[in-house]
Amino acid sequence: MPQTYSKDTLLGASRYTIQVDDETARLKAALLGDIRRSVFVYRVDCGGCNGCEIEIFATLTPIFDAERFGIKVVSSPRHADILLYTGSMTRSMRVPALRAYHAAPDPKVCVAYGACGCSGGIFHDVYCVWGGADKILPVDAYIPGCPPTPSATIFGFAMALGLLGQKLKASHHIQADNEHVHPRHPEIALDVRIDIERMSRRMAGYWHGKRIAESFLDLIKTPDTETEASIQSYLAQQDDPRLAEIFAHLQEVYRAHSQGK
Amino acid sequence: MVWKLVKEVLKVGEATVLYPFVPAEVVVGFRGRPQHDPQLCIACGACAVACPPNALTMTTDTDQCMISWNIFYGRCIYCGRCEEVCPTGAIQLSQEFELAVMNKADLFEQADYRLADCGRCGTFFAPAKELEYVIALMEQSGLSGGELEERKALLGICPACKRKNDIPKLVALNQEAT
Repeated sequence: MPQTYSKDTLLGASRYTIQVDDETARLKAALLGDIRRSVFVYRVDCGGCNGCEIEIFATLTPIFDAERFGIKVVSSPRHADILLYTGSMTRSMRVPALRAYHAAPDPKVCVAYGACGCSGGIFHDVYCVWGGADKILPVDAYIPGCPPTPSATIFGFAMALGLLGQKLKASHHIQADNEHVHPRHPEIALDVRIDIERMSRRMAGYWHGKRIAESFLDLIKTPDTETEASIQSYLAQQDDPRLAEIFAHLQEVYRAHSQGK
Repeated sequence: MVWKLVKEVLKVGEATVLYPFVPAEVVVGFRGRPQHDPQLCIACGACAVACPPNALTMTTDTDQCMISWNIFYGRCIYCGRCEEVCPTGAIQLSQEFELAVMNKADLFEQADYRLADCGRCGTFFAPAKELEYVIALMEQSGLSGGELEERKALLGICPACKRKNDIPKLVALNQEAT
């Protein structure tokens, strides 16, 4: 397996990638311009977890209704204009993926769907994974997400069909001279902060726990008498009994520390 | 019969959301694109260690004396581990989900930070911003005066020089013990 972390390796097509000749590329651009509201999509699962498939079918439900835009999932690559590749392109699925590609009539557009389709996702360094549809196929649009939500899917198609513009742009920041970072919550002692964060994570899980601990620490005021009032008003505003329960435990931890002093 | 069905349809109304013509409603707690604030980042690399799919990576270039933080959104699984471990809150999951691109290069983001050089041997060993942050943390935890200066001097040298620095002390300790 090649080193799969550097940007150059990630950007460059592999030597197995199918090259598109100029005539097909011209036809492809014309197809994307003229296709408008008659988009036949064939979905190829190249070793995914089925999360992406569930979201694709959610996109077709009346709630998101992809057929508003003429997007229709067809059951044969011979009817397809767009090939939607999901999954991390496992070794066993690369031949079926190629067969689907060659079965679709030219000009055709390939879309890499999901984190796996774009790059191999969390499976990128597994021994039998080639790491994304663009390792063997000429991909025109990338829809990242794990899985992409139906809204993200609709955005991806609308962008590929030229209805909406691309929002994400590459950025490169270089450290300026006046960049300084100050510790957060300088007035709260380190051990108090750690105990509060631990309790919060124990009760709400790692991601919500961190966020809840941060909001609790933000509410601690320097004269301790105001802290109680600010916490109560915050809880009233949020109106969530689960949050109130967690905050009660955090307050217990905080009180134990202040009495210990 | 038909009339009953029409009445039912009219009662239910239209279920389809208007996205993309109006902004999509995103639920509270939705985990979207990790938003990186390069000003707040200290290039400690905790997020790159935590990132399960290696969407976040750190690369060190000692010739340019730069360390760079890289994200590849095409690989991100939106787990939020990076947000959890970030000590300064530089990275936070936003509500943004419109990440589709035509050009793969637009899925990359990079931020470069300067490395500090060792006070003894001159090798570049740690991000300057990180060292600055550590000093600020030590001041916050109540260190001051001679002890703070001693720690600051220790922070300014690379791990190899620190070990060399420790040898005479260890020898002295050993001699005291025997």
